[in-house]
Amino acid sequence: MDDNGYAIRLRGVTKRFGKHTAVSGFDFEVPRGTICGLLGPNGSGKTTSIRMIMGILHPDEGSVSLFGADPDITRREKVGYLPEERGLYKKMKVLEMLTFLAEIRGVKRSQGRKKASDWLDRLGLSAWADKRADDLSKGMQQKVQFIGTVLHDPELLILDEPFSGLDPINQDVLESIVRDFHARGTTILFSTHLMHQAEQLCHRVCMISNAKKVLDGELKSLKAAERKGVVAVEWEGPDDWILGPEVDRTEEIDGGLHLFLRDGADHQTILRRGVESEARILRFDLVEPTLHEIFVRHAGADAVGDNGMPSGPHPGGA
Amino acid sequence: MWNNVLAVVRREYLQRVRSKWFLIATIGGPVFMIGVTVVPIYFAERGQQEARNIAIVDGTDVLYERVAPGFEAAGYTVHSVPWSADVMSGLRQQATDGDLGGFLMLDELTLQTGEATLYATDRPSAIRRISLESTVTRSALEYQLEQQGIDAASLLSGGDLRIEMLQEDGAGAGEPQFMVAYIGAFFLYMVILLYSVAVMRATLEEKTSRVVEVIISSMKPWHLLLGKIVGVGAVGLTQMGVWLLSGALITSAGIPMLIASRPDVSGLDEIQGLLPGFGMLTLFMGFFILGFFMFSSLYAAVGAMCSTDEEAQQAQVPVMMFLIIPIMFVMNVIQNPMTPLSTGLSLFPLFSPVLMWSRVASGASVPAWQVALSFVLMIGAVFAIAWVAGRIYKVGILMAGKRPTVPELWRWVREA
Repeated sequence: MDDNGYAIRLRGVTKRFGKHTAVSGFDFEVPRGTICGLLGPNGSGKTTSIRMIMGILHPDEGSVSLFGADPDITRREKVGYLPEERGLYKKMKVLEMLTFLAEIRGVKRSQGRKKASDWLDRLGLSAWADKRADDLSKGMQQKVQFIGTVLHDPELLILDEPFSGLDPINQDVLESIVRDFHARGTTILFSTHLMHQAEQLCHRVCMISNAKKVLDGELKSLKAAERKGVVAVEWEGPDDWILGPEVDRTEEIDGGLHLFLRDGADHQTILRRGVESEARILRFDLVEPTLHEIFVRHAGADAVGDNGMPSGPHPGGA
Repeated sequence: MWNNVLAVVRREYLQRVRSKWFLIATIGGPVFMIGVTVVPIYFAERGQQEARNIAIVDGTDVLYERVAPGFEAAGYTVHSVPWSADVMSGLRQQATDGDLGGFLMLDELTLQTGEATLYATDRPSAIRRISLESTVTRSALEYQLEQQGIDAASLLSGGDLRIEMLQEDGAGAGEPQFMVAYIGAFFLYMVILLYSVAVMRATLEEKTSRVVEVIISSMKPWHLLLGKIVGVGAVGLTQMGVWLLSGALITSAGIPMLIASRPDVSGLDEIQGLLPGFGMLTLFMGFFILGFFMFSSLYAAVGAMCSTDEEAQQAQVPVMMFLIIPIMFVMNVIQNPMTPLSTGLSLFPLFSPVLMWSRVASGASVPAWQVALSFVLMIGAVFAIAWVAGRIYKVGILMAGKRPTVPELWRWVREA
């Protein structure tokens, strides 16, 4: 596929801030029409990568292309960008501000105004159209911010941590809107440190940790590839068939025993041994690992914080 | 592309013009000016009205006709009361009853020393007192000189020192021009500072509220900066437009009305002569616009490199010096507008608005080419400053954390 097939393509991108390397040798692409998740702990380089895609930062090495060319202003106009650090003009009325945001992206004033009120309706905020932004709750402000991102019908949505700060109900609302956009052909890239969110939404994921890419590909094939590594078993009778050269370690999860196989090992061998033994096998299940497990497996347990949520050495973005 | 600049201009303009503070300052400004200039004149005279009926007891028989015109000119009505032994107690009674504002006692001693006593119900103002005092001493002096055969009256009333300038160039400002030049220079300093700081605050607000990242993703930083400056500048022009219009109304209608209603208040018509004409106003606006463009770009850069109000307060000091230094020179420049120092300082673009204005308004014949040159230099400076400040702005608005050092700033300018 040439660059035109990709909404976004990064090649060998490196960005340093002084002595700190925020992104290192990053190759990454988002094919048009997909929903793609950029995953990684805080401080792993997600926001820096996104800012380079938006042309706000420039890579020290490597190249960034947006719709097959430099991320200049004419291409950026086709992008709806929700930055991680969000802000609104505090003293401005909501509808006026949205109209302004549409206008600076080339939407006609009257049209922008109409679209903004439609969206406010859709997200249940029409009563707040004439209120000042700082009269709104945090969640409402975030919804307003999202509306501001999509008023110009962008071909590509880049959402940096769009779900953070939203309650579960509004997370669902946002999720369904993202799906709607995808159904209409919009390409979507979002970053998150919430793995389950990515799991529900993404076609493709790219995981980064400590400024480097860890894993990248289609969610389905990633999971299929990882699936052969873990087997959940339940049985009655002797257990001597379980341990063999194929099994690296075992772990009790949810009442069942999970066998983690060595690389290249075939689960069929274990199953055969079990059938030939005295044991009654009740369950022999290839477990689909969660993204979280995949991430841990590839980034190492070091990248996972105490709360089970991956976190990095440089909290606070960048 | 220009549409989004226009959108920024419109937002910046409407947000400000619609605010309460704009209304208060715009309407309050002229009201305040009228308050501090016209009203005191009106009331200062009025307060003395009741006490103006004065009796003059002339014990010398020669002073009354000399003193009376002076008191009348000062706004008193006077009548002569002949001397008698109990005259004072009678007049005292009249004053206590409110029939008399006071009485003046003139006697032989007055003729010798100029001393006299005014018994008054209301204390006269200091200025009035001086004028009354000189009326009395002058009357005494006139009488004494006349006794010696000297025509004191024409000598004393005819005094006038006419000034003829030998060399036009050496002329410092006369008093009316001095006021126009000085007030104008100070006003320029104020409005340039006021609106430039507004640009700085707007930049800082966008930065701290993180709005800027969204906006920068859809327009060039340079366009955002331009829109902001033009928008705030337009607010400034609107405000001054309102002030000028109300000023013109006051002078063309208000002052003549005031003169007509209070013929007894002298000096009002002189105020009109002091007011700058259309040419001067145009020049003033020119200096404001270019000065504002230069300083607002600098202030925007300051706003962009800071993260908090407190930081910005400190960081703006070096920029503000370029406004304060010319203000320190204003007096000197107005009094000596044609010296090489004045000429040189007034041609330095950042000083031109305050100092070139001062020179021209001082009434000196500043060559037209110098004024033209200062405008050319200022326009050049606008572009140069915009180039540098625009680069600092571009990098700064997305920076968080501590303020950059000067070498870092230089790197921003080179690399942006």
